[in-house]
Amino acid sequence: MSQPLVLGIETSCDETAIGIVRGRTLLANVIASSVQEHARFGGVVPEIASRAHLEAMLPSLEQALKDARVNLGDIDAVAVTAGPGLVGALLVGVASASGLALGLGKPLYGINHLAAHVSVDLLSHSDPIEPTIALLVSGGHSSLLQVDDITSRVIKLGETMDDAAGEAFDKIARIMGLGFPGGPAIDKIARGANAQAIDFPRGLTQSSDWQTRPFDFSFSGVKTAVARYLEATPDYAQGDVAACFQEAIVDVLMQKALAACKKTGIDSLVIAGGVAANSRLRAVAQLRCEAAQVRLRIPEPGLCTDNGAMVAALGSLMVSAGRSPSPVGIDADSSMSVESLLVS
Amino acid sequence: MTISLAIDTSTSRTSVAIIDEGAIVWHGHHDGATSHGSALPTMVAQALAFQNRVDQVVVGMGPGPFTGLRVGIAFALTFAQARGIAVIGVCSLDAIAAVVQVHSGFIVATDARRKELYWARYENAIRVEGPYVSIPKEVVELNLPIFGEGALKYQLTTNDEIVYPDMAALVGLSHDQGSHVTEAMYLRRPDAVPTSERKP
Ligand SMILES: [Zn+2]
Repeated sequence: MSQPLVLGIETSCDETAIGIVRGRTLLANVIASSVQEHARFGGVVPEIASRAHLEAMLPSLEQALKDARVNLGDIDAVAVTAGPGLVGALLVGVASASGLALGLGKPLYGINHLAAHVSVDLLSHSDPIEPTIALLVSGGHSSLLQVDDITSRVIKLGETMDDAAGEAFDKIARIMGLGFPGGPAIDKIARGANAQAIDFPRGLTQSSDWQTRPFDFSFSGVKTAVARYLEATPDYAQGDVAACFQEAIVDVLMQKALAACKKTGIDSLVIAGGVAANSRLRAVAQLRCEAAQVRLRIPEPGLCTDNGAMVAALGSLMVSAGRSPSPVGIDADSSMSVESLLVS
Repeated sequence: MTISLAIDTSTSRTSVAIIDEGAIVWHGHHDGATSHGSALPTMVAQALAFQNRVDQVVVGMGPGPFTGLRVGIAFALTFAQARGIAVIGVCSLDAIAAVVQVHSGFIVATDARRKELYWARYENAIRVEGPYVSIPKEVVELNLPIFGEGALKYQLTTNDEIVYPDMAALVGLSHDQGSHVTEAMYLRRPDAVPTSERKP
């Protein structure tokens, strides 16, 4: 099978997403988001997300098949996010994928959501990414990975000690009354503002931190500093605060990512996850990677946030690499380790 | 000859059966309130190894604890889609009531967790009230015989045979258009408080 047709299902958070790829070619990427239903709660409500997944599953599936101009019977394999994520939400996807796979009599690949974020890069670039350092930043995760082979060997170099980067964006946006999700809102009002106006702390970048936790992150300090600043400065300039907060996060992410490249001798960096859609991160990454002579790759913004294409993409790589499918009856694993790439 | 794949995950039991014109040709069940996700595909794979041709899927739509309930419904929907066959949903409580041999009034009650029951009242085997979710006391006050997993849990019955949905009955209910259910029966709203209503 040279060009497997793989359908991917993603339901780890609030997006019901179905993607279809043939080999490394993207054929369909349908996303039904329940984000608006969560907005008035200031964060994702797991039960609301799970109900929305069940309702959106068949319509999304039908739309994806239509977009890809294929029939279910043409599918060679089904891939699904097995974890990490919200367990009730994951279970809707895993059960749906199991039903499809058994109904079609085709193999099922239960794959890692985080690795899928990294592998989606292959849909924008055809050359191999490995080995590469991957900076994975989203509302649920912030980690630095060494990717030797995305289908079999990923090493976790570091991760956040407290909030995920996207979570910090959400919290600051909430305090500033910018709504949920916070990332796009902060990105927008920070444009054209003065990113040097206020000096917010960069977590885990003291010289002792570089000794003990070189590749870990901490965003609770900057979050607290921003909250204090807002409280103490009633007439604060919204754009400047957003820009300086964003700058602090972006600066730390890039410092650590490039330090990881240097330490491992790997001159390639992939940035993935929802925060990779942030325009400031993309711009700073471009500049600093050029200066450090590191080859930078960031998927197009639409493929950075949660989607089914990334699940299909990793599934397709698993098929091509000859990995054995997951056994029948796999469970969702809400705390699946990033080093566990495929449920076996 | 219609061959049905019957699925129910509305109680702590995951049940799967293949029913050929009213006769059970394969059945399996697995007990465990958090194991629907793995038990269901495993059993369906076994059932298909025995009988691969299936003409329709019949699934219990609850009421039942949400996470497990959704596993059965999601699986049934996509399986049917993959096979290009119909999927029919019915009320899971009705599939318990169908095997109760009481002609006057009775109640079927399953475990809704949080010290509550999912229940419905039947007369001559026909549902006349419910399904609802409420505390056991309210159900007991109706002074009728009670059957089902919830009744057993709160010691409202000694009948430990009529506890879970009956798979042949589930399929039997699918023949009656009037008993078709198209949406998961949650009976409870999601737990969530809008930020505007939250205490500071
Ligand atoms: Zn994600």
